[in-house]
Amino acid sequence: MVKQTCLHDKHVELGAKMVDFAGWHMPVQYSSIIEEHKTVREAVGLFDVSHMGEVFVSGKDATEFLNKIVPQSIDKLEYEKAVYCQLPNKNGGLIDDLIIYKLGIEQYLIICNASRVDEDINWISINKGDMDVTIDNQSHNYSLLAIQGPKAIDVVKKMGYNISDQKSFTIKPATIEGLKLLVSRTGYTGEDGFELMVENKDAGYLWDKILEKGQEFGIKPIGLGARDTLRLEAALHLYGNDLDETTTPIEAGLTWSVPKDKVADYNGKDIIMGQIANGVNKKLVGFRMLGKNIARHEYEVYYNGEKVGHVTSGGVSPTTGTNIGLAYVKNIPEICTDTIIQVMIREKLYDAQIVKRPFIEKRNKV
Amino acid sequence: MAFKEEMLCSKTHEYVVKDGNKYVIGLTDYAVEQLGDIVFLELPEIDSEFGKGETFANIESVKAASEIYMPIGGKVVEVNEALVEAPETLNEDCYENGWLIKIESDSADADMEDLLSYTDYKEELE
Repeated sequence: MVKQTCLHDKHVELGAKMVDFAGWHMPVQYSSIIEEHKTVREAVGLFDVSHMGEVFVSGKDATEFLNKIVPQSIDKLEYEKAVYCQLPNKNGGLIDDLIIYKLGIEQYLIICNASRVDEDINWISINKGDMDVTIDNQSHNYSLLAIQGPKAIDVVKKMGYNISDQKSFTIKPATIEGLKLLVSRTGYTGEDGFELMVENKDAGYLWDKILEKGQEFGIKPIGLGARDTLRLEAALHLYGNDLDETTTPIEAGLTWSVPKDKVADYNGKDIIMGQIANGVNKKLVGFRMLGKNIARHEYEVYYNGEKVGHVTSGGVSPTTGTNIGLAYVKNIPEICTDTIIQVMIREKLYDAQIVKRPFIEKRNKV
Repeated sequence: MAFKEEMLCSKTHEYVVKDGNKYVIGLTDYAVEQLGDIVFLELPEIDSEFGKGETFANIESVKAASEIYMPIGGKVVEVNEALVEAPETLNEDCYENGWLIKIESDSADADMEDLLSYTDYKEELE
């Protein structure tokens, strides 16, 4: 059965076009994807991302346990800080990508992809062994609202949130509009922003309050359509498109997120470290179409007449007015930044140029 | 032209309307609304011929790529080049300025038998 978030009726009232996404009935757009995209780049937007998974991990061995299942150094994660992680299988392929937040001593929160909650819980449980760890999947009890854009900070301030020195990639418990919630300065748009995790019963009230207090800053509700174009411009990976169980963090261009000096063992470590040392057979690249044609997920990529890979994410970039994408290609030195490749679109080849990622200037420096 | 009164619609959301000895083909307002922001349009070459139901054009919204089918068969005699240059205007007007192609057709009468009036088409959608 298709699930609904607590805000489902709000979306319908607002006139959203609803679609099934990862088992959830979600708003894909309220007005226009392009307008919504621009609202987030220029002002501020509100997203219902309650479909995402919220899993609490606690217990005496919580740190050691998490350190064993992700490449990142969870033992070095400080209180109230967050880290972008991947969940590799034994071969270094990715079961999911996640953000892990440290809430307290041996207390963590994992935010994971809606489509992968069951697989994640299953895999995490398999790895638990006899360690003293409690895995508490609270996905069904919490809603997640994302306020994103250059004016996101004005909206949370207006709501009485004392942001003080809360930096990017941190989380704090807070009381906003009389509601107890968790506020993290994270997002999936390439903009500065906040994600508010709140109990389901309070989600509707919070949604309304954010729209009310954000009105003077031009806030609008934003659907999954714009969420996808925003994250693609920021070259943020989408699980299922750019990441899956056959791609390692190194192939995916996530080497920056994998510490080289981590002592503890974790699933797939030998393979991942081997790839850092010896290189990879395929690599993720960003490209820009040179004409008007649009590359889409799974289109084939060619170089010098030879098939060298496939597009994983592709579409329009409303900010730059060009068409962009991400693709896995054969890792050969000839295919690098500025190289012209071709994308097969409706049985014809169209030129594209490999460009540096992200596709837009980094904007969310905090 | 009073499009909505005169046109016939296919179940795949194309319309056809007679204009002198030509037939004007386009996408219904429902189709355009469903597609959302239109960002790309590819139309056929003049003189190309298509049977009823064949793909003659490709359209892309921000979300996805779709094919457009011939509501009746015929030979392309005009294409809306202005629309190819500014496909986003289709979101505002898919009739007066937003038609796709004009064709000549020998099979129009027979091909139009299973098409619906706009009123019936709208009813089918509900």
